[in-house]
Amino acid sequence: MRDPNAIDFWRGLALVTIFINHVPGNTFERYTYSQYGISDAAELFVFLAGWSIGIATRGRDGAPEPRGRTVVRLLSRTIEVYRAQLTVMLLALATIAGTALVLDNPLILEWHNAGTFFADPIQTIVGIALLTHQLGFFNILPLYVVLLGIAPVFILLARLSRPAALILSGGLYLLSLIEEWNLPSWPGEGDWFFNPLCWQFLLVLGFVLQDWNRESDTLARWSRRLMPAGIALVLLGIASAVLEIRPDPLRVPEPRLLFTFDKTYLTPARLLHFLGVLLAFRAVYGLVAPRIGPVAGYLARLGRNSLAVFSMGSLLSLGGQLLRFWTGGGLLVDLAILCLGLLAMGYTAWFVEWRSRKPRPRV
Amino acid sequence: MALPQTAPPGLRPALLAAALLLGAAAAEAQDAAQAPALQPSAARPAPTVISPPTTAEPGDASLSPECRVPGSQLYTLAKLRAVKAALKEKRPVRVLSIGGTSAGLGASATYPVKLETALERSLPDVDIEVEARGLQGEIASGAAERLRSMVAELEPDLVVWQVGTHDALSRVELSAFADALDDAVRWIKSHDIDVVLVDPQYTASLADDAYYNDVVRTVRTVAAREQVPLVQRYEAMRYLAGRTDKGEGHMLGRQFRLNDLGLRCMAEHVTRAITLSLLQQDGGARDAPAQQAEKPAAPR
Repeated sequence: MRDPNAIDFWRGLALVTIFINHVPGNTFERYTYSQYGISDAAELFVFLAGWSIGIATRGRDGAPEPRGRTVVRLLSRTIEVYRAQLTVMLLALATIAGTALVLDNPLILEWHNAGTFFADPIQTIVGIALLTHQLGFFNILPLYVVLLGIAPVFILLARLSRPAALILSGGLYLLSLIEEWNLPSWPGEGDWFFNPLCWQFLLVLGFVLQDWNRESDTLARWSRRLMPAGIALVLLGIASAVLEIRPDPLRVPEPRLLFTFDKTYLTPARLLHFLGVLLAFRAVYGLVAPRIGPVAGYLARLGRNSLAVFSMGSLLSLGGQLLRFWTGGGLLVDLAILCLGLLAMGYTAWFVEWRSRKPRPRV
Repeated sequence: MALPQTAPPGLRPALLAAALLLGAAAAEAQDAAQAPALQPSAARPAPTVISPPTTAEPGDASLSPECRVPGSQLYTLAKLRAVKAALKEKRPVRVLSIGGTSAGLGASATYPVKLETALERSLPDVDIEVEARGLQGEIASGAAERLRSMVAELEPDLVVWQVGTHDALSRVELSAFADALDDAVRWIKSHDIDVVLVDPQYTASLADDAYYNDVVRTVRTVAAREQVPLVQRYEAMRYLAGRTDKGEGHMLGRQFRLNDLGLRCMAEHVTRAITLSLLQQDGGARDAPAQQAEKPAAPR
């Protein structure tokens, strides 16, 4: 198992933040950094995914692994994430239906997009398998499946030319913003909550920056110099979140998505704010990690096992939502949800590592 | 449905007649849906008990018997200026239906399709285009922002918004919900787009839940303050629930069926509120819950 490092640490923090934010209305929501900026934990998660692909597809000496192996590696990861999404969806729908039965409350069946499944199971089960039907709060993994599926194109291209990969990816991003391209939902009308055509840019950015950072210290030097700009962006983000200042999407000029704060399309404002966050916090891990040893260790362990922890976390936050509804919420309930959630996510990470150390039982 | 929109004017009456026929058949189809679905319809014994004359009572062509609720428990009315303008300019009326069950379901029998059909039946000669979107998340935290993006993307004349369910399920702070809803409604109106609010559904298990009732009341308060029509889904369903109470127990019992019925009736109720709101005099006072009270249908 690798030692705690900055990537895993931040990814762990993103996982905890996503867990808390996915129990909306809970007391601790206001203590997450997502409430104080334009971008949130989703950006961090996807960017770090790109950065880690860069690490995973090269040997320790920095030599790229054979192309075939990279493709197969990403493909097998895609399948793994797809499988996780199917499992999580099944369990989420069962949790919703089961709670509705036990509490004798059909209202729960309308939980964020679940109603479609219960009203039209024939169409919707097809949509679930196609990833075109997503429950609210369960839309990151479908994005991730698509991103990993198309990643080989960009990664192999970047080995020939990093600018070419960036231009292709950035071009697709800009075109999707201008033309409002997105993948469709089905059977429900509308589009994907996380638009892969836009979010792929952040993944590629993470990958390319990692690659560049490995080769020269230009990036590190420049990001040190630009740190004040990053801090300014973070402060702007805080001001805009606290004062609720944001552009009115019906008043901005066309093409609108270049100017609004839109999560679905990862609009430029969100992207810029996220880059600011990166610049402002890039050195923080090195400063705090030694002082908060066990916490850093815990977060890094979550980050090392992000797929399992994320899957478990999303089911836990659904459970937390339903528990809050059933009990009426309150500080004690929120505290219980938070503690149980953190424990269960930590246990999940420990369990995955324990299992991978053990020889597989033959059954 | 796009059909009438593309049809030449001469075809319209024929299409309208067809739509009416389909509408009458819909009630029957609902019953048929309970029976094994794949049974060929021809094999069924001919005309069932449903008799068209009772469905088409004068003055109330739109509410089918099982959805009939006194008007005072069904809606409050207010003017719909943007829709009226669209009608005056003889252009299609674009409706954006938002909310838990609006996420444009695949099967043709579901809410957005029913809403479009019902609207086109009650406003003949008008093309209605219903777009439906689910809205995940709470109005009090973030969903209102996504709603703004959706409205900007589709630029509808009318937003029919089923609101409150998700916030109620998350038990968000009432004041936060009220403020965010108020803001969002005011924002939509500020862009000359009409809004019809639909409050959350009734369910027996929450009838005594003070918080849930407060959410319903908050939607009502905002509708009154912002002067937008409100479909009282909660009251309507409670009324309907009171009518069909006997003989079914817990678990998958009446509440679960009622939910289904509630969806079916909601399209009719929303249509009723829109049509009557369109009849509001331009200078007239807004309030006065419609006195259109129909007599509750006799229990069958």
